[in-house]
Amino acid sequence: MFRGEQAEMSGSEILSTLLGSEVRGDLLVLFHRNPGLIDTVDGVARRIGRTTVAVINEVRELLELGVLRQKRIGAFEVVSLDRAKDRELLESVANHLKAVRISGEK
Amino acid sequence: MTTPRAKAGASGFDQLFSSKAEGGHRVKTGIAELDEMLRGGFMPGDAVMVAGSAGSGKTTLGLQYLFNGVKLGEPGIYVTFEELPDQIYRDANNFGWDLRKMEEEGKFRVICTSPSLMLESGDGSLLEDIFREVQPQRLVIDSLSHLEMFVKKDDMRMEAYRMISYLKTRGISSILLWESPQISGGSFSVTDVGLSFLVDCIVALKPVEIESSMRKALVILKMRGSDHDKRLREFEITPAGIKIQSAFTNYEGIISGSPRKVASEKFMELFRGASEKRK
Repeated sequence: MFRGEQAEMSGSEILSTLLGSEVRGDLLVLFHRNPGLIDTVDGVARRIGRTTVAVINEVRELLELGVLRQKRIGAFEVVSLDRAKDRELLESVANHLKAVRISGEK
Repeated sequence: MTTPRAKAGASGFDQLFSSKAEGGHRVKTGIAELDEMLRGGFMPGDAVMVAGSAGSGKTTLGLQYLFNGVKLGEPGIYVTFEELPDQIYRDANNFGWDLRKMEEEGKFRVICTSPSLMLESGDGSLLEDIFREVQPQRLVIDSLSHLEMFVKKDDMRMEAYRMISYLKTRGISSILLWESPQISGGSFSVTDVGLSFLVDCIVALKPVEIESSMRKALVILKMRGSDHDKRLREFEITPAGIKIQSAFTNYEGIISGSPRKVASEKFMELFRGASEKRK
């Protein structure tokens, strides 16, 4: 259903992808507060009070970015937080923000 | 897949003939009085059912067992079908148990998933990555009762058996929480789907009303291959977790839901009353 491929992205591209929509923001908050969550897209949608249709593309974006990973369990596709990749991406964003601040100060 | 056994460096063959398997080693809950009741702790690799009604302290007991396990060098996993992990972290923090820190150290995980996925993953594929990362020696499922919503009553026993066997073959000592509204009456029926026969040990938690106040009682109903304390003990959920107190020695009929003072205690009360009147 999804592919977790991620092309090399700059810190600013990662940041704009992460904050690209309200639903994506809700998904990030859900997975950051609950890093051990493993569920189907339907289940994830229910947990943030949205419909599957509303979250499916947002989940795809996060899979492509690498924040989420997917796995097949029997007849189901499940998604979960990729902790290592998430940490790596957050570091890129933090470095980007630091660079922006330093250049702003100059 | 590396199992906890492999990590410990002992093969199944070694374990078969080790003194530990003969009863020397116990899986300590870290709750001193409970370990004493269990004659040192649970038997290694056993499946333990902790049964009780809502609010009886099952989740607290499960978390305390895992938290103390990590302190003893035994990594653990908490699988919840009910609460989201952030609620679990928050509740554990109230007892001074920093689960997030233990997760960062790679010794602990809270996994939140749906019972249907757990059932679909009969071969354990749902948890296998996490097992590889954490190498758990302890695991708590909160709760087994949730599986009931997804399987027919007749299949429940088979599914539970499969889950228990999966954990046992990996040498994991598990606690399976069971929401049981009716641990009462003479039959001590903990579940109505015959799960009591599948588990090695049953610990029942029950709220009891005594002299117009609600108190909590704990009893070990069954423990395969070991002696254990048969008395009904009072316990409290304190700011530091579960604390087990003395036995309800002066009361009978607590499990049946109609506690009354034992005859000797009644006699003593009458005797005390009479001697006070005489004064």
